[in-house]
Amino acid sequence: MAKPIRIRELKKDIPKEAKALCETMLSDLEKAKRPVLEAVKCSLDNSFYSPKVGFLTPGEKVVKTELNVSSVQKMARTIFMLEVLLGNLKSGAVNTKRELYYISKGLVKSNNHYKPLDFDDQPESDSVIDFICDMLEVYREEMNCFANDRGGQTYSKNLVVTETLPDGTTAVVDVSGLGTTPFQPKNKPQQFRLKAKKGKIDFCLIVESEGTANTLVANGMHTRHNCIIMGAQGVPSNGVRGWCKTIQDQLKIPMYFYGDLDAYTLQNIFRTLKAGSAASLIRNSDFSAPEVRFLGVLPEDVKKYDLLCYSVNERDAAEARSLKKAKDALENDPFFQDKKNSDLADILHWLVKEKKRCEQQAVFSVDPKDPQILEKVIVEKIKKGSYV
Amino acid sequence: MSKITSSSTAEYFAKNLQQVGFSSPAKAVLTTLKEAVDNSLDACEEAGILPEISIEIGKLGPGASRNTDLVQIVVEDNGPGLDPDDLGKVFGEYLASSKFGRGRCSRGQQGIGISAATTWAQLTNASGVRVISKTKNMRKAVSAIIDVDIKGNRGIIKKKETIDWDKSHGLKVEFRIDGRVVLNGDGGLLTYLEGTTLVNPHMSINYKLVDQDPQDIPRVATTVPDIPPATLPHPHTMKLGEFMTHAGLYGKIALENFLKKGFSRVNDATVKDMVKKGLAKGLMAKNLTAISEEEYKKIYQALHDTELIAPSTRSVLTVGEEGLSKSIQRLGEVDFFSVVTRKPRICDFKPVVVEVAIARFKDRGSDEDAPVQLLRFANRVPLQFDKGACAITRSVESVNWRSYGLNQPKDSVPTGPYVFAVSVTSPFIKFKNASKETIDGSDDLVDEIRRALMQAGQKLSRHIRAEYKAADLERKISHIEKFGPILVEGLARIVSAPKSRVEKAEEGLKKLLGRDASSAEAELEQATSKLKALKDRERKKLGGDDEEAAGDAMSEEAVIEHEEQAASADDEGATKGSKKSAGRKKK
Repeated sequence: MAKPIRIRELKKDIPKEAKALCETMLSDLEKAKRPVLEAVKCSLDNSFYSPKVGFLTPGEKVVKTELNVSSVQKMARTIFMLEVLLGNLKSGAVNTKRELYYISKGLVKSNNHYKPLDFDDQPESDSVIDFICDMLEVYREEMNCFANDRGGQTYSKNLVVTETLPDGTTAVVDVSGLGTTPFQPKNKPQQFRLKAKKGKIDFCLIVESEGTANTLVANGMHTRHNCIIMGAQGVPSNGVRGWCKTIQDQLKIPMYFYGDLDAYTLQNIFRTLKAGSAASLIRNSDFSAPEVRFLGVLPEDVKKYDLLCYSVNERDAAEARSLKKAKDALENDPFFQDKKNSDLADILHWLVKEKKRCEQQAVFSVDPKDPQILEKVIVEKIKKGSYV
Repeated sequence: MSKITSSSTAEYFAKNLQQVGFSSPAKAVLTTLKEAVDNSLDACEEAGILPEISIEIGKLGPGASRNTDLVQIVVEDNGPGLDPDDLGKVFGEYLASSKFGRGRCSRGQQGIGISAATTWAQLTNASGVRVISKTKNMRKAVSAIIDVDIKGNRGIIKKKETIDWDKSHGLKVEFRIDGRVVLNGDGGLLTYLEGTTLVNPHMSINYKLVDQDPQDIPRVATTVPDIPPATLPHPHTMKLGEFMTHAGLYGKIALENFLKKGFSRVNDATVKDMVKKGLAKGLMAKNLTAISEEEYKKIYQALHDTELIAPSTRSVLTVGEEGLSKSIQRLGEVDFFSVVTRKPRICDFKPVVVEVAIARFKDRGSDEDAPVQLLRFANRVPLQFDKGACAITRSVESVNWRSYGLNQPKDSVPTGPYVFAVSVTSPFIKFKNASKETIDGSDDLVDEIRRALMQAGQKLSRHIRAEYKAADLERKISHIEKFGPILVEGLARIVSAPKSRVEKAEEGLKKLLGRDASSAEAELEQATSKLKALKDRERKKLGGDDEEAAGDAMSEEAVIEHEEQAASADDEGATKGSKKSAGRKKK
């Protein structure tokens, strides 16, 4: 089987490190000493942000799992899954998390001895896989485990993508030639080589709603402007995050994000895209695009275009949660606490104060008869520097 | 204009028997049994006799009414018996009672129940109640049939004859009514008998219900409950009309004397206070018969505006923790129980005692999701209907049982295989209806019941915690056995270790996890010893008997010892009873 393509130049030898870890555990057991597994603590309270670095990095906190009667199940499952993953690395086989779940079930089914390890549902096996990656400080993809990344549908009249395939051959994709079909990167967009077909691309626009991105394309925005339009499809998947990072690093063009004006979009979508997330501290360096700017919807747009807003109903549990989220982000999220991002924090303050939210599609109310109104507003905002 | 006629009390109840517990054939059987047993127990207690109750319920054939059976209910006791002249009044006349408004904790209060049962028998089977009675002064017993003269509200004695009866004293009643026998469930006969057994540890009872095996349950207490004497009414518990009626009982005496003699907690200082608050001094010396209605109103208001000490709690009777602890074990093999008897408290100016027993039985259902079985008692009488409206149910629902380790759906009674018995005793229980099925609870009373429940819950939680630790230990041991070898084998395969290393690592693993199991064992031991300490404290409180009085089922030897004690006490009780002479009291 061909050698899988790498996301980064990994300096560690995963099978060697895994074996060393198992060797230590076994020898501890021989000495009747409790083996301990350590993994980076991936949570907001162990996240640090520096504008110079540009993404959330892990602190010193680690999660230690010492062998005892309560943790013996977790340890046994970890070693069981590690063995499966090492087997994949050796043979070059790749799997999704769902497939690994079924592989585990199959192994248990074929050998009654493994019955106690049986996973009741996929989240149980997923958490073991994540723990292994955090413990070895490797990406899931480096363990040959891939997700079916959604989002990232890309349109451009001036983008050419070159992919080196596992067998060493290359595939060149001229995105302009795909018609209305988008180019969608999967799994390891960091290994793509990008270039403009002609000159330099002016900007990349990432739209929160895939549907709205599609509307802009259908109305011909990508033909009128030398740009890349991408649909994020909600919270960005690893594929979208890696793809944005690749565009930013290789094309060195301005990147703008356009989405709803609410706490969820700001923290879960925009911050994840720009600086990564607390849950993926060990992979943020390769999966965040610090140059992305928040184009809107901005509080000033609400005023300027008299956009239709929704009042946050505090009696509604879901809406009240969104308000609480904004307050929590201001209090606990190092990204919003950094001076460099004070403008973004101001938006959260505005949301808390005004108790309002505005959707990205609200711009269509500005001139209901003009199908290109959103394009015009976006272009105007870019020209005037109306972004954060 | 239609003619206005007046009806007798008996006429009213004959038309409204559903108000006093005869609303369905099933309830009719239960209520008849209940009225007969309550009267027997009250009479025995009044006479200082340890009660021996014998019950037989059988189906004689189809009833006259549709979908009913002709049910025979026979209740026999060893009480003082009734004077033959009183039989008509007791069984055939409404509101003829020796207990009405006396302010004592007796089961019966108004003199309605047993007459209503006679009426039901008469209405459905055209014959009243057959009674056999013998007092200690009679050589032979009297047998008679009593009917209710519905127009005249009096009892009619028929077929009166003297017969031989091998009892020194006692009473036997036999009702034949249309009804339906329901044994189990909230309104079942067995539930009633179990409840009555629980709160009457001094009672021995044997019963044969239709085709069931006969049951013989010996007593577990050898002293007759000392029924506290009634106390004078507290003025703050009366309404103006009652106040004036009460005054009418005292005849020609001065107001000041009436207030001091006719009420509790009224003394010279109270009288002074009332005068200070503007009541004319001359009124205090005025004769009661000369006081006008207007003046009574002023006196009543002044009395209510004056601060008084809360009423005495001496008139309240309790079953007691010892009695409950022993009695609960008569209901089945107990896995665990906790009992709490609160000190008497004043709720709404009325003395009240709340007692709670929580038990889990080995031979009863183990459904964790079913609501607990809630047994409610008012003055030691089981309440079996209209649970939702009762103050006791409200109190149970208001406690957060989750903190004591039980599951509890929101605003509901907890779930699990437990029996909760809650008893409220007071000379002045306020019921929501004449059939006395639900207690009308003020916030004060609900709070008092709640406190008792919480105390019992705390004891229960120690037991549950010990059980949890035991389960935890079992879980940990099973974890070691399940996951240990798989972990070692997995590690060995990854590092390609030889068999010798595997064996060594397995030994090491056993040592490590064995230490954990030992620490879990230590935790279990700690929880068990805490539970044992609680039980010891309980035992000490209950008199330091050798038996497992608190917390565990009695050992076989203890039960035998108890039976022997009970047998000798029966003889004592009978002698004691024969020395006393007391007329049978009516509900």
